[in-house]
Amino acid sequence: MSAVDLMTPLERFAAFGKGEAIDRLPCVPIVGNTAARVIGVKVSQFRGNGRLIADAQIAAYRRFGYDVIRIFTDLYTQAEAMGARVHYPEDETAYLAEPAITSVEQIGSLEPADPRKDDNLPHHLEAMARTQDAVGREVPVNGALTGPFTTASFLIGTGTLVRLMLRNPEAVHRLCEVALQSSLAYAKAILETGCTPSLTDAMCSTTVISPRQFREFGQPYLKRLIDFIHTQGRAVTLHICGKTHAIWEQMCDTGADCLSIDNAADLAEAKAKVGTRARLMGNVSPSEVMLQGTPHAVRSAVRECVGKAHDNPKGLIVASGCSLAVETPFENIDAMLDSVRELGWPIQKRELEAAWTA
Amino acid sequence: MSENAQDLYKALSDAVVGMDEDRACELSIEAVERGFDAYTTIERGLVDGMGRAGDLFESEEYFIPELLLCSDAMYAGLDILRPHLKVEDANQQRFKVVIGVVEGDTHDIGKNLVKIMLEASGFDVIDLGRDIPAQKFVDTAVLEKADIIALSTLMTTTMDAMAEVVEKLHKNNLRESFKVIVGGGPISSAFAKRIQADGYANSAPNAVKLVKQLVGVPA
Repeated sequence: MSAVDLMTPLERFAAFGKGEAIDRLPCVPIVGNTAARVIGVKVSQFRGNGRLIADAQIAAYRRFGYDVIRIFTDLYTQAEAMGARVHYPEDETAYLAEPAITSVEQIGSLEPADPRKDDNLPHHLEAMARTQDAVGREVPVNGALTGPFTTASFLIGTGTLVRLMLRNPEAVHRLCEVALQSSLAYAKAILETGCTPSLTDAMCSTTVISPRQFREFGQPYLKRLIDFIHTQGRAVTLHICGKTHAIWEQMCDTGADCLSIDNAADLAEAKAKVGTRARLMGNVSPSEVMLQGTPHAVRSAVRECVGKAHDNPKGLIVASGCSLAVETPFENIDAMLDSVRELGWPIQKRELEAAWTA
Repeated sequence: MSENAQDLYKALSDAVVGMDEDRACELSIEAVERGFDAYTTIERGLVDGMGRAGDLFESEEYFIPELLLCSDAMYAGLDILRPHLKVEDANQQRFKVVIGVVEGDTHDIGKNLVKIMLEASGFDVIDLGRDIPAQKFVDTAVLEKADIIALSTLMTTTMDAMAEVVEKLHKNNLRESFKVIVGGGPISSAFAKRIQADGYANSAPNAVKLVKQLVGVPA
């Protein structure tokens, strides 16, 4: 029998931020298209249907009781609104079919997206507004915003972009700049719905580019975007996939208030390195544990995360290392929340160990 | 101009490591003009350089952008030198790998890196590209008499497509004909075992080691 939540997510975060008593640690299995399974629709039905995305996300939040709703279907919405072609399988997450342009000469033809008009952006904004209206008084509602460097890679193709970084850095900066202008306009529109933009810059991972390249092409654009969101009084979460240990300091330099880290990185190490600068969020493996594991494996993984970083100076949000796969079993999502509920707060080391070996 | 063949091989290897495509072309042309053996020039120049680039990648001094530019230099040199291979070198029997990104996924950087490192290690690689249906892997492997089928995906949603390839091989009594290896962000050894693949590697250099081990070539 698991403990029951005594606070709403907003109450929990407010108390957590002030260092006051809470009922349990915040917990965020990052639910994207899995929400389609909660209301029994196909993933492709989300396309161009803000009301359905909102219905699904609200239902998923109510079903699992996690602490942040994130309106997200895929990383391509901004790139698509700037001309990239996205393929929508009937019941799986969309993927990039063709970049918007194929050569440096075409960069000048790119224009920042208009979030009120272009492709799926208005529908995502509608989903954010509806979700915010329905449950925004009890739970933070975030709008997913893809980082400028990652969007740039979708605009010209990753292989081309990474070669240009060394061959023609100025062209990459032009691409990042136009992607940033899209991101800024979209961030503004997201804020107007009452939601908070939450950033993902997948391609900035050191699995792909070097820390020095992140400093040149990733960080400056993220910083400008985050500076803008901060002027609107909102805290920002920054997620970068894959390996990131060599850029945690730089991720903090962007101004991000919370770093969401992948299971390819270590929470204890992150705590030691940047725990006084940023809240940490992570990092149960979405694939090995959440998708393919058992509820028991989820419990062990949650305890490992909590054991490593519950005493992070800026706080810990127990989360999946990345967005969950569509078919993630509900019992594994329940297990994640339940184990956080069982551990309660403050975390007792003894309980953590006992529970671990149980 | 390089003093002797050894110097030229070294300079060519350096050009690959240094991501200098123009220099790699110049030196390859020079090798041809001076009548150096094309096979040796490829092995001790281009392939050596790509091997060094792979080492730098493993030690995190190079990242994907650098590795891709090194491979551009290698391929530019290969284009020049290959037509000058002796018939017996050109027709040498090599182990063959069919590689591709499984259906439903278009992330192909990881696959491309594995392809590059395999080619630099002397394997024949047939690259099907991305978003490839399971049947296409099977058909191509049969047609090409391949030794290895290499499957890549970055997305959790498409992992099952890897299992589908293995199942198709089973159904057609072909499972013993090919070794199947898998890789990509969400993939693990445990997953490889569960779908009864023959191996998993977590990086392009390790994929080369794995393939060598599976076909019985000394590392």
